[in-house]
Amino acid sequence: MDARLRRVNKEIADCKNDKTSSIKIEMIDESPFHLKGSFVGPEDTPYAGGKFEVDIVIPESYPFQPVKMKFLTKVYHPNVSSQSGAICLDILKDAWSPVLTLKSTLISLQSLLCSPEPNDPQDAEVAKHYMTSRGSFEQTARYWAQIYAGAPGGDGKAVKQVDDEVAIAGLEKAHVDQFESLGFPRGKVIDVLRRLNYRGANVAQITDDRIVEELLK
Amino acid sequence: MDLGDDFKVSSKGKRKSYEVDYDSLSQSAVEKSMRDDAEHIRGILGVENDTAKLLLRHSEWNKEKLIESYMDTPTKVLVTAGIILPEVDPQSTPTPIRTQTSNSSSSRRPTRSTSKLLSSLSSGSRSSKSSSSSPTNHYSPPKVSKLSKSDEPFVCPICFDDDPKLRTMALSCDHSFCSNCWTNYLASKIRDEGEHYLRCMAEGCALVVPDGFIQSVLIPEPGAPIGDPAEEAENAKVWARFQELLVRHFVGCNPNLKFCPYPSCTNTVSCPSAASKLSLTTLVPIVSCGARGIGGQTLSQSQQSLGLQGKEHLFCFGCPIESDHRPVVCPVAKMWLKKCRDDSETANWIKSNTKECTNCQSTIEKNGGCNHMTCKKCKHEFCWVCMGPWSEHGTAWYSCNRYDEKAGQEARDSQSRSRASLERYLHYYNRWANHEQSAKLSVDLYAKTEKKMEEMQITSALTWIEVQFMKKAVEEVEKCRRTLKWTYAMAYYLAKGNEKELFEDNQRDLEKAVEDLSEILESPIEPENIPNIRQQVTNKTVYVQKRNEIVLEDTANGFLDGRWKWNATVDGFDDPDPSAIAL
Repeated sequence: MDARLRRVNKEIADCKNDKTSSIKIEMIDESPFHLKGSFVGPEDTPYAGGKFEVDIVIPESYPFQPVKMKFLTKVYHPNVSSQSGAICLDILKDAWSPVLTLKSTLISLQSLLCSPEPNDPQDAEVAKHYMTSRGSFEQTARYWAQIYAGAPGGDGKAVKQVDDEVAIAGLEKAHVDQFESLGFPRGKVIDVLRRLNYRGANVAQITDDRIVEELLK
Repeated sequence: MDLGDDFKVSSKGKRKSYEVDYDSLSQSAVEKSMRDDAEHIRGILGVENDTAKLLLRHSEWNKEKLIESYMDTPTKVLVTAGIILPEVDPQSTPTPIRTQTSNSSSSRRPTRSTSKLLSSLSSGSRSSKSSSSSPTNHYSPPKVSKLSKSDEPFVCPICFDDDPKLRTMALSCDHSFCSNCWTNYLASKIRDEGEHYLRCMAEGCALVVPDGFIQSVLIPEPGAPIGDPAEEAENAKVWARFQELLVRHFVGCNPNLKFCPYPSCTNTVSCPSAASKLSLTTLVPIVSCGARGIGGQTLSQSQQSLGLQGKEHLFCFGCPIESDHRPVVCPVAKMWLKKCRDDSETANWIKSNTKECTNCQSTIEKNGGCNHMTCKKCKHEFCWVCMGPWSEHGTAWYSCNRYDEKAGQEARDSQSRSRASLERYLHYYNRWANHEQSAKLSVDLYAKTEKKMEEMQITSALTWIEVQFMKKAVEEVEKCRRTLKWTYAMAYYLAKGNEKELFEDNQRDLEKAVEDLSEILESPIEPENIPNIRQQVTNKTVYVQKRNEIVLEDTANGFLDGRWKWNATVDGFDDPDPSAIAL
């Protein structure tokens, strides 16, 4: 039997038999080379309790070349693209070793959520947010986990629809309101403030004129 | 007195001033000097051959630095080169996959006897380890082992194969995998990634796979059971590729060496005189690796019948231009090619067919109508003829009586400067491109000449050897066109003055001679005037050859004397005189 097929089948079976772990791997269709993995967000992180799904593609030369993974669930994390779910993790690139398995790679992803690496970011805007104001970043990450990964959230339903965009962008409602009241469309205000990283200590450093200038572009 | 004996001269005899000394090395010759280096290191440091090779690769073949650092801190050097494992507390290196990690990392040294002891201690662990019988230290050659029956059955941690007949292999770190997985891993790294510095497959293990191990994985030992021949051929290919990667790395680390850039050619050229960047302002290091044609590509019918083995692998040692750019030095040739790329056809068309609005500088094409222009963008009104503002024309524009108005004058000046600069460039570019085109057509010329050579053998009493003058003439024409082509790039950047005039005189003489010869080669052949043609062609060929030498030699000497002055800033040369700077 093809070594790659044997290995992948065994990996899937092992994962199924392991009832204690929170890691799951399922088939999407008939092919064992395109899978969907999922794990639970680690405790004591903004991602706690969420269910994170990962798209898994097994390349032809697996396990000698790394498996291809990206998040299907939207994640607010410096090393994960907030748009595409692409992941920046060394073991998915040069640090890959053939002894790593799908399960161990998913565990690595899980631990990546515990320990972001903002100096080697996949999403520069999120990384900036993380660096400037940790508290606000965690709030946004938690909010994303609640609405996209189904993490338990105290006031998940209480948040009004209008504020969703503001919270998703990790901004302060007061700031957005301030510039919206100048007559700029809300979406544009959010876009500009997010790009400028108008959060925490940065708020004092960025002048209103600079923002208006960006808004007028 | 002949000084020639005191110098190393190329096999062709006395070296001309436009030629450089170089040696062509085959892959095996380079491999030999790699072996010599390894042998040298092995002798000095007293290490094994494979270790010496890895050390050299790790230090990018800088022997002096390697010896120095090894003398200071041998262990550190061996660890960073991935030859031995660092001395660490076993508990501090968790490897999540292998359950017996702590045992294996403590068991790796100092000898196998302890490792055996420890492996029996770790018998409770899930995956068991292979053990070999011979006591070896950690520089050891590959360990190939069959499992002893007392151990738990071995399951390869990669393919999960648990066949008891499985052949397993491990580096000195004792991370065992089945030989199939090793083969696939090494093949994937070497073939698909072009890597020559390969690490152990275990996660986080920093040991590098020595050459001997790779060879034993890919190439079956004599007497070994015969495997799948297709697979063995593939593995042999991977091993050859690995050798090539090592040679490439060695060549890349040595500034005196350069790999032949022709596809699938594996030769190397050594040219120490062109190794420094500074030398590139005084010489043009055109070298040839000695091979001809393109490997694996069959020659066309006409080429074959002409007995051509394909083109010689000529390339420049100093820059990435893959052709002979004599007599122009690399920095100038590079500038010229960049200019040609930037000033594309579109830019040329825009410059020659449009004018800029004198107010907002928008580019305007006049596609008909009267000369009263109104800029679409800024609504500036101006006269297309004199470029002055339309308001100054009043209603009497026909005589353009405001022709000398200051505003119009200035606008025209800047415009004409830009046109003049373009015209100057196009003058040189067109001649450059023309010679390039002609050189490309030389294949056709070969074919035509071949026909003529056949005709001559039929219609006259000349033998095959006697009609070779035609072929020689065609080759000479092609060579000279290459020179001529680059003289235009040179002339474009040369500062005005006597030197440039002399250069252009030489250029003109060569060009005229080449065109004369070309014309004779293309003219029809009548049987009665064959001796005449032969006489003419032979004479002209010699003359053209001489003119080409004059151009090449004079230019090369000019570089050596620092005679050439430029009209633009050239990398490595003094800044040009402000008065010489061209438009």
